[in-house]
Amino acid sequence: MSAAPKVEALNPLFDKRLINAFVDGVLKTLKTIANTEATPGKPFIEPQFVLKGEIAGMVGMVAPPLKGTLLISYGKDSIFHILENMLGEKHTEINGEVSDAVGEMTNMIYGSAKTTLNQLGYNFEMAIPTVISGKFNITHADKGATLVIPFNLANNSTFYVEITVQ
Amino acid sequence: MFPNTTKFLVVDDFATMRKIIKKVLTELGYTNVEEADDGKTALPMIQAAHDAGKPYEFIISDWNMPGMQGIDLLKACKADPRFKNTPFMLVTAESEQKHILEAAKAGVSDYVVKPFNSQTLKGKMERVYAKHYPNAQPKAS
Repeated sequence: MSAAPKVEALNPLFDKRLINAFVDGVLKTLKTIANTEATPGKPFIEPQFVLKGEIAGMVGMVAPPLKGTLLISYGKDSIFHILENMLGEKHTEINGEVSDAVGEMTNMIYGSAKTTLNQLGYNFEMAIPTVISGKFNITHADKGATLVIPFNLANNSTFYVEITVQ
Repeated sequence: MFPNTTKFLVVDDFATMRKIIKKVLTELGYTNVEEADDGKTALPMIQAAHDAGKPYEFIISDWNMPGMQGIDLLKACKADPRFKNTPFMLVTAESEQKHILEAAKAGVSDYVVKPFNSQTLKGKMERVYAKHYPNAQPKAS
């Protein structure tokens, strides 16, 4: 077996493999547990946090010397659509059950992406996600930008994967 | 394969994952399923069920949980002669070699990587059954 590939010194947000790992993690998770097809849109860079939706799963990503945040934000339309497909449950409001599902999906998506990335030479550690809802703002301690990947669902709703790396 | 009356304990800190596993087990014909939200809650339940003469016959536990992790619950079960032969499957978001080796070393029956569907879980359960009951006759399909 050859040595693990060296992680490029440039900002990991420009590493296409990192973006693909998260895109694949999202698609695989939704397809497997919720029989839901999502279509990734064009990724873009956001210099400052902008609120997208009403609920989000967040996980701190640590891969020394890298540190970052994964945030997956959903509007009601997108999360209720996923939950109906996943558990057969119809939700009309954000409650504890919806939060729990967002947390578990964040866990699975990060776990899936992390496995791929670590095979590529990164060294991401596992972490327990946090769920935030309502009107929130996120201020990153560093000056790094955020990569945003939109995902579109069959009911014309969108959710967003946001990756910030220091 | 395990009979439909098999008593399951599903351990996960996320209610959603417990629901998903329960749904998958129901799809496979298993309805005797109880839940615990982490290892710390599960261990006394496993002990009490055994003492009551209705032991769990299959434990499915998440790995990454606050309180008591799945790997520690597995080790606690394996260290107790009453539960060391109970089939124990770990559910994990990790598919990395070091975790797989740690679980195998601790005596896990099998592990399943999230996300998974009913066919994947069924395949894993068949492997666990063959491992725990090597002399059982395979059911004709």
